[in-house]
Amino acid sequence: MSAADFNGRVLARVPHHDFVGRADELDRIVKHANAQNGRGLLLLMTPSAGCSELLRQAYDQLFKQQSDVIPLYYAFTRNETTAVSAAIEFLQTILQQYLAFRRKEPVLCHAALTLQDIVELAPSSDLEWIEPLVQMYERIRFSNDNKALVRFCLSAPQRIPARSGKAFVMFDGAQLADDLNGSVVLGAELLRVFGRSGQAFVLAGLRRQILDSARADDSYFEFLDLLRLEQLTAEEAHSLVDHVALRHKVPLSREVRDLLVQQFAGSPFFITNFLQAAREKKIGLNTYLDCERLYVDELLGGHSHHHFTNLLEEMAPQLGKRLRLIRVMWEAVENDEKSASVESWRKRLHAEPAELENILHQLHIQEFVNWAGATVDATTGSQTWKDYLRATYRLGIKGDPRALVVAETIADSLKRAPHTMARHYQQLDRIDLRSVVGAFDCQRVPAVLFDYLGWTKTYKGLEESELQSRLATEINLLKLPQAVHVASCQAFDTAIRNHCEEDRCVVGHTFNEGSYTDEQQRVWLVAEVEAKLEVDIEVAKSWFERLESLARRNDFSRYHVWLISNEGFDEAACEYVRGREGFCSSKRQLELLLQQIGATSALQPVATEEPDEFLMVVPMGEENELIAASAVEQIARRLTFPPQAINQIKTAIVEACINASEHSHSPDRKIYQRFRVESDKLVVTISSRGIVPTNVGSNNAHLSKPESSDAAAEERRGWGLKLIRSLMDEVEFQRVDEGTSLRMTKYLRTS
Amino acid sequence: MDISSGATVKSHCVGTTAIVYARDYLNKLTGEKIERECRRQLDSGCRALVIDFAETELVNSIGISILLGIIDIAEKSGAQVVFSDVNNQTIALFDMLGLTRHVALARNEQEALSTLSGFNSTPTLN
Repeated sequence: MSAADFNGRVLARVPHHDFVGRADELDRIVKHANAQNGRGLLLLMTPSAGCSELLRQAYDQLFKQQSDVIPLYYAFTRNETTAVSAAIEFLQTILQQYLAFRRKEPVLCHAALTLQDIVELAPSSDLEWIEPLVQMYERIRFSNDNKALVRFCLSAPQRIPARSGKAFVMFDGAQLADDLNGSVVLGAELLRVFGRSGQAFVLAGLRRQILDSARADDSYFEFLDLLRLEQLTAEEAHSLVDHVALRHKVPLSREVRDLLVQQFAGSPFFITNFLQAAREKKIGLNTYLDCERLYVDELLGGHSHHHFTNLLEEMAPQLGKRLRLIRVMWEAVENDEKSASVESWRKRLHAEPAELENILHQLHIQEFVNWAGATVDATTGSQTWKDYLRATYRLGIKGDPRALVVAETIADSLKRAPHTMARHYQQLDRIDLRSVVGAFDCQRVPAVLFDYLGWTKTYKGLEESELQSRLATEINLLKLPQAVHVASCQAFDTAIRNHCEEDRCVVGHTFNEGSYTDEQQRVWLVAEVEAKLEVDIEVAKSWFERLESLARRNDFSRYHVWLISNEGFDEAACEYVRGREGFCSSKRQLELLLQQIGATSALQPVATEEPDEFLMVVPMGEENELIAASAVEQIARRLTFPPQAINQIKTAIVEACINASEHSHSPDRKIYQRFRVESDKLVVTISSRGIVPTNVGSNNAHLSKPESSDAAAEERRGWGLKLIRSLMDEVEFQRVDEGTSLRMTKYLRTS
Repeated sequence: MDISSGATVKSHCVGTTAIVYARDYLNKLTGEKIERECRRQLDSGCRALVIDFAETELVNSIGISILLGIIDIAEKSGAQVVFSDVNNQTIALFDMLGLTRHVALARNEQEALSTLSGFNSTPTLN
């Protein structure tokens, strides 16, 4: 059989084309196997980031290559309770895999073989080392020297003769190796046997545990490379959800797909388990409600429940202790305890110091807490973990009725879902201020980009080409400093989180001219102010004072304040900022600045069976609302609407499109339009994905009249909706899981 | 008569009155261009503005909001503003959003200029 004949899978659980999101990591492992230097690779995994399938895919790829690299894969499981039993299982597994590789028979990897079977199946050229190895194993096994037995089993790959190829061992779930009972610490033995063997190998497991094991003997570090395995990016996770749902034949809307990715923070482990549960229960995931019902089912009795329950049982095998642990952890999460003392945990858990240390170590490795010596931060766990903890606490300790816990957990998850997505969309839409300041790098840029008033007078309203050419010839330039450290304001002052989200306010430590002296040191305090119109002086002043107060508290003696807002600042606000030697810019100026400093880096229309319905999808922006208006004009003419009514419909559509573009933070930047023709009316539905605008919250309530002078600006924001209501006969916001769907009806009146 | 096209907004002056021509669609982009042109004309000494909507078929709320801003700017400069040749649908929108309370309307450019000369000849009371 040739390599080309291996079309099926060997150890992989999914076909290669369905394996998404880890292409770079897979490539790195395969290259590592083929490298001549024979080094170890520590695969440091974020909890639930999933590495087993990655290693299995690497195994299959190497198996199919049939080169001189012999892939061997061993996964530690919770079934093995001692180092000796795990080592014996390792020996059996790798001998079978060796045989499968040499005989080019993948099925041998999964066959139930005895060691005697292996000897009999071995090619004659391998008999000379396999037979003595099995005989020696039998001798050591009954010698009562566990350490010698473990070391012998682990060193089996090194006994493969060089002429047969190079063994490449991949250990999966290495964190479990340290939990095995008995006199031998398997994790340490693994590094001892493989660390300096000159053979390439992979040790994959939870990052904190693996690093702890490796650091226990620093002498191995020089022979080890590191590969960090984080959660998937949103794009990779979307692709994973699509692939798994398709494979399991689970109906899935794009809205639910995106929610799953955010809710599980891109974790392949939770995403895959969740979709598997949907398949098992034959549940379609079309709405947020479908999704959250299954999520709660999973938390209270499904894959997620078993995963967390097993971990807790390992940490605290005794029921009483486990319940106390759940109580302490939930209370810590609920109270947002970032630095509780270890002593307080010990008292609350009624635990001996050694027992407490073991529990905290396990919690720390699973990243449910951050344990740093004397303090414990219990706020770091994933949302799924916190939800599990809360439900388990309510059921097991508080004794709430199960139906109540189920109902309230579903309701809470549903209420949280739009916020989760809104946060995500806002992040997508936002310019990363840290990157902006980080890219300053002593570059010279037009000073007008930091002065909104000057910008308004000289640049606003210019054609793009003229604007660019004028900027290119600006002589009034500002030399930016070099940033040496940029972090969120919240890292310096937690109170700032009451005023803005973490990434909208940053502190940059910089040096003018790149000169590292006290005189040249400046701190840049940058904030993005949320406003739909020009920011007025009161708002500008409050932000300026907030940042100055942060500067005082942190002893920043020389600093600059730079305020940014979508639509800029009014004249009085600009004068105020100028007077305080600060800077202010609009989003447009910021975008142009990004170009200057080189820091630039689906709601599907539902199928319809209505015969008289037109569907149209246009990208947001570029005056594309005119395309929609022009299309509706043609349709309305067929219905013989009078010219005035046609103009009203066109204007309403233009307004609806602008609303969708401006307020939704749409992920796909598309506007979905549906025109339904009925005998006496035209029904137009304009939808977009993203955030539900605040003025839609009360659904179909009428706009209230402004009562104060400030309300005048507020009123202007509501003009679009006001116009739509005046121009159309019926206007209604339809309930959708995310974004908006505005249905407008115009009746054909015969005079 | 001084004729200029600014960036893409056409305008010309009759004495100290600037006539600025709005395009077929009044939105944020074209509105800002008109605003820019109006500012320019006021800065160069014009005492009255006529914004002509003869070509304008469609306006949106942001465009109307910018027009309101132009009226404010003109007011601060002591200049009069007249809108000319506005179609009925657009007048209805201006009415709906209260714009017609702040500006005079004229059937065409000529009528706008006559309206302005009427303003200018009105004696001022001290």
